[in-house]
Amino acid sequence: MVNRQSLLHQEARLAFWMLAPTFIVVMAFVVFPVIWNLWLSLKPVSLGALRGTSLFEFNLSLVNFHKVFGDPDFVPILLTTLFYTVGGSILSIILGLTAALLVHGEFPGRGLCRGLFIAPYIAPVVAVTFTWSFILDPQLGVLNWLAVNTGLLTQPIPFLSQRWMELDITGMRVRLPLALTSVILFEGWRYFPFAFLFILARLQSIPDELYHAASVDGASPFQRFYNITLPQLATVLSTLFLFRFIWTINKFDDIFLLTRGHAGTKVITIKIYDYAFGEFNIGAGSAVAMVLFAILLLFLFIYFRWIVKEMR
Amino acid sequence: MSREHLETNIIRILRILGIIFFIIIVAFPFYWMIVSSFKSLEELLMRPANLWLDIRKINFNAYYEVLFEHGFSRYIANSTYVSIITVALSVTLATVGGYAVTRLRFRGQAFMSYSILIIYMFPAIVLVIPLYVVFSHMALRDSIHVLILVYLAQTLPVALYMLRSYFQTLPVEIEYAGLIDGCSRMGVIWRIIIPLSAPALASVALYTFMIAWNEFLFAFMFLDTPEKFTLSRGVVQLAGSVHLSKQLVMAASVMVTVPILVLFLFFERYLVRGLTSGAMKG
Amino acid sequence: MASLTLKAITKRFGKVMALSRVDIEVKDGEFCVLLGPSGCGKSTLLNIIAGLIPQDQGTVLLDGQSVDSLAPRDRDIAMVFQSYALYPHMSVSQNLSFGLRMRGTPKPTIRESVQWVARLLGIEDLLDRKPRELSGGQRQRVAMGRALVRRPKLFLLDEPLSNLDARLRANVRLELKQMHHQIQGTMIYVTHDQVEAMTLGDKVVVMRDGKVHQIGPPEAIYSYPSNTFVATFIGSPEINLYRGMLVRKDGLPHFQGAGFSLNLGRLQIDLKEGEVEVGIRPEDIGTGQAESMDLRAKVEMISYVGSEKYIHARLGDEALTFCAPKDTALQPGNVVHVAVDPGRVHIFHKGRRI
Repeated sequence: MVNRQSLLHQEARLAFWMLAPTFIVVMAFVVFPVIWNLWLSLKPVSLGALRGTSLFEFNLSLVNFHKVFGDPDFVPILLTTLFYTVGGSILSIILGLTAALLVHGEFPGRGLCRGLFIAPYIAPVVAVTFTWSFILDPQLGVLNWLAVNTGLLTQPIPFLSQRWMELDITGMRVRLPLALTSVILFEGWRYFPFAFLFILARLQSIPDELYHAASVDGASPFQRFYNITLPQLATVLSTLFLFRFIWTINKFDDIFLLTRGHAGTKVITIKIYDYAFGEFNIGAGSAVAMVLFAILLLFLFIYFRWIVKEMR
Repeated sequence: MSREHLETNIIRILRILGIIFFIIIVAFPFYWMIVSSFKSLEELLMRPANLWLDIRKINFNAYYEVLFEHGFSRYIANSTYVSIITVALSVTLATVGGYAVTRLRFRGQAFMSYSILIIYMFPAIVLVIPLYVVFSHMALRDSIHVLILVYLAQTLPVALYMLRSYFQTLPVEIEYAGLIDGCSRMGVIWRIIIPLSAPALASVALYTFMIAWNEFLFAFMFLDTPEKFTLSRGVVQLAGSVHLSKQLVMAASVMVTVPILVLFLFFERYLVRGLTSGAMKG
Repeated sequence: MASLTLKAITKRFGKVMALSRVDIEVKDGEFCVLLGPSGCGKSTLLNIIAGLIPQDQGTVLLDGQSVDSLAPRDRDIAMVFQSYALYPHMSVSQNLSFGLRMRGTPKPTIRESVQWVARLLGIEDLLDRKPRELSGGQRQRVAMGRALVRRPKLFLLDEPLSNLDARLRANVRLELKQMHHQIQGTMIYVTHDQVEAMTLGDKVVVMRDGKVHQIGPPEAIYSYPSNTFVATFIGSPEINLYRGMLVRKDGLPHFQGAGFSLNLGRLQIDLKEGEVEVGIRPEDIGTGQAESMDLRAKVEMISYVGSEKYIHARLGDEALTFCAPKDTALQPGNVVHVAVDPGRVHIFHKGRRI
């Protein structure tokens, strides 16, 4: 059956050529850097030594990891990262869910609303971060000026540059991590459209018969929401959390542009940048990158072990 | 009033309030960006709490300054070039690759389709260090074309995955009909798959354009020469060099935001039309 | 036109044996129907003939020449799909002419061929429409036209009528039969519908689980089913099939079923005694009061199908279905004498016809 084989063979060869460019680009710009990162994390290199040949020598050591784990900032950074990631993910999903429920159904201007709600996600990160920085600015920002002028505040709040804010809630004194909260709120604002789109699509695929049946069975609107809508959304919500968690923990641009990691907003990606391009310690930066990978793997493990199991 | 009516009315009121809330928080930053870009520096400093724009005082100076004194006319051209080349390459390679993964029989097919997803997981900041090191080493770092390759690597896996999902929904019989009617595999892609995938191709192109146009980190790390800056890189440069003149930063922000939003609004309608609907089974 | 020979075609998908050593011979101009329940491998076989799926073993020969190394486009075949698979982005005339254009046929010839096929199928008014603007029946015609226009060596039809409603299906079936007479093409027609198979086929291939069970003209398949599967799959209402013992009483063969005994008297067969299965088609059973009739059945239910009535009765411990004229006076509860012409009894041993 040589001939028949050759037809299949031709097809496989065609597939090879069709995929080769993608394969090469992804290998060179994604897979190779990740492996290279592991290599760098095991070498004491600084940016200054870049042009030296020492890069390819086989002199591995754990010195970078010693430095990283010995850093007194290490644990606070992990906590900040966790707070930021979980907070940002959940907030964006809650906002997305709310927006989807609001827009679901028929009313005039619905298409316009849907288009508008996606804008924060589509707009360039530099534009929206600089705009929000401007709005929230304590000296020039419209929000603080409006609040002070109307007597809502006695003095402006430096939303993005103050680490803690004392709050007096009915006698209870609470210390709010101000800048971190602002950054999380920004995260919710910028990424809720992602959840919004997914949830809206899922909402629209719930068959009307289900609601009709529940109405006939005597369920009120709130009961229908609680007993039909929410269970139908469970899968999409947990998948959204998976994706938002991964993307938020990987996020660098937003915090970098809003606060540069100051005022208690130093997350792990900022730390990577600080080591690599602030201290010119490429090895330490790569070592933190490996820590980030480890956290991602741990999260995936827990997610699929517990959350997915729980769902079923 | 019955519980049904009561709850329905409560929901109606909550919905109106909620939609107003969302419209304000979503639209206000964009509104403020535009309004501020048309104000003068004096206006911004003297009346920072003025929410309105006086039509008689509309001021285009910020745009003029940004475009011609801060080099943004060049950045616009650079960003357009980078984005369009990225879109063209990404859509072409993803179409061909997505088709191969969907329909052709070869060893490693399953591996190829699943490994695509893992790329979702790699943070850009992790990729930037080794790439920075290597391209600095080879003195290739400060180049728009290397940047395009980086963007291609960032967008290709997702583009390929999106197209693969779409191709899977196309009935294989139509391709069979094409093969029997005399098309080669490439002929099937060109004459049948591409015309049928217009909506998917449009959304992939849009997605790729958005990534390339909006990208900040790699442009920030790779580009040193102002003549090569993309818009995002230019805005950051501008914001770092002016402290009080927010109207300049806002004008620059408007320039980088408006094209992508307009493009998106224009395409959103187009995407809704499904070409295959009604063409198959009765 | 061409003849088609399939030699020992074998195909497996993972662990599932989709086709095992299928041999079929189709003569030039013959209308061959592949009949079987869904999942029997008939569509896979069609795709293998077309070259869309490679077989694991075996050879496909067109006019005696192996086409195994030829891509679908080089085999000079045409196919009509169950879903029609019309190109949604092309008009009807573009759909019809696509195959000719791909082969570089001169434009005047293309125009002529499209006109010819459009007239043949009565779709001249639809040429400028898109598939989504057509009704199901119209789409089916265009799909047929797309195959006919190329005048290929071989037509492959994969359940082309199954998406039509019942009334339309009967009409199109007739037209298809006439068209086959007219163009004398070699056709391979896949279906799970026995009526289509019986009315259309010059030759019927009954398949199950990737194996060919019987090949023959419709009359032979119906009258001489080679095994119990073919016997039960073909015929409506379904054949009455009983398991029991073959015994000799007074030297004459009898079938001893559960609670009844059937005299196979005049049957000139030399059978060993032992376990057999016996099949009796419902229309081969007669009723009456005569003493000579040796079987008594109790009527349980009657279904009226217009042209006649189906009587569901109990024969010993078994169920019996037989046909009666539509004006029969039988009522549930009645006891009737039934008789069977031993010559029309099908006897199977271990599933195979004796």
